[in-house]
Amino acid sequence: MKRDLISLNDLSLETIQGYLELAARVESMPAEERRRLLAGRILAVLFYEPSTRTRLSFESAMFRLGGNVLGFSETGSTSVAKGESLADTIRTVEQYADIIVIRHPKEGTARLSAASCSIPVINAGDGTNQHPSQTLLDLYTIRKLFGRIQGLRIAFVGDLKYSRTVHSLLQALGKFGNATFRFVSPESLRMPSYLRDGLAGSGCTFTETVDLGSALAECDLVYMTRIQKERFPDILEYEKVKNAYCIDARLLRGVPERLRIMHPLPRVNEIAPDVDPTVHAAYFPQVGYGVTMRQAILLDLLGVKQ
Amino acid sequence: MSTDKNSNPVLHIPKIEEGFVFDHIPAGLGPRVLELLRSYPELAEAVVTVGLNYRSGKLGSKDMLKIEVTDLPESLIRLISLVGPGITIKKISGFEVVRKLGLELPDAIDNLARCRNPNCVTNTERHVAARFERSGKAASYRCLFCERVFDLKELELLLP
Repeated sequence: MKRDLISLNDLSLETIQGYLELAARVESMPAEERRRLLAGRILAVLFYEPSTRTRLSFESAMFRLGGNVLGFSETGSTSVAKGESLADTIRTVEQYADIIVIRHPKEGTARLSAASCSIPVINAGDGTNQHPSQTLLDLYTIRKLFGRIQGLRIAFVGDLKYSRTVHSLLQALGKFGNATFRFVSPESLRMPSYLRDGLAGSGCTFTETVDLGSALAECDLVYMTRIQKERFPDILEYEKVKNAYCIDARLLRGVPERLRIMHPLPRVNEIAPDVDPTVHAAYFPQVGYGVTMRQAILLDLLGVKQ
Repeated sequence: MSTDKNSNPVLHIPKIEEGFVFDHIPAGLGPRVLELLRSYPELAEAVVTVGLNYRSGKLGSKDMLKIEVTDLPESLIRLISLVGPGITIKKISGFEVVRKLGLELPDAIDNLARCRNPNCVTNTERHVAARFERSGKAASYRCLFCERVFDLKELELLLP
């Protein structure tokens, strides 16, 4: 039976660990060997809304495994503009490709796509709902940085109310358990209560604060987020909080050397460029681990055993 | 006149020879159940009797509804289980109860309700039926597509 990657909610801890192990094996494999693994296979990349990183990352992953890529990154030149249903588009693309990765502004699109075809479907973001490959690559990055996922002190900083990436990563870390979280945000962008409540029984603890400085001094990892203008119904509210948290090299003076900073990118003002050369900056390696993890996802869903 | 069936053998609702009795309807919900029944064209001409506010040992007070038909649409039973879990449906034949069905909240709701999330694909694509699964909490359901969780009362039922 075909498998898909639609939502973190579908994945057990064992499955997540399996992806982490597979990504590690992919990373240690000689490039020559890797390039043979998906030779002759085709990835269809269906992006109904703009994305730079996710789309290029999947395409890079497929090329590095020797496969080919087709698709679109905007719908203006496709039958979608003529009113074609999503299910019809998916059934058509199924004839052209071996696996589909889809990003769409409506929630539930990836699930519907998976139900409409018999080839694997990867969700690369469905509205504000899920983006599971981002969470898997975040977990892989954490494991690469610290050698483990459990037992860390992790601060989430910025837009904790609307950030899909943060919500999903927090839920995944909750499955691993044994973490200490610090939620750093303006009052208006606090972590939703259902996510805080969801940590009950996970073996994780959390505190909430508006103070970034203490998080930098006391945590192992800071996960920064962009405050997303498009999420605010009231632009004045956005203006009040848009620059609430900004890390620069000066702010990092004196913080423990172990501190690492991740960010799903793109960044705006929340991390100054002078942080980039410091030992703390982990967000560009994070992008690289994204390609590794997406190779693991493609291999797994296409049933190529390693 | 008393409506207690133990103290008075004459009920306001007459017995029916063939059909179905909807019993243990929480008081006030009878009209809603009637509304669901009336939404089915195939039941439009059936004889229906409704009684409201009977005294009930179990519920305090209850509504009751009788319909003289040989069959009930399956989807109607599933809809009624959503608005009134705990309702008992009795099949009557020859004035006798021949079968009893106690309605419970279902584990899944399939094509019977609309997702409340306007950005859910079930509301934006044609011909996509919304499906929900019971979430952890008592009467909460998670949309299988957008994964949002709703209280059952928030969901708009799809009538035929």
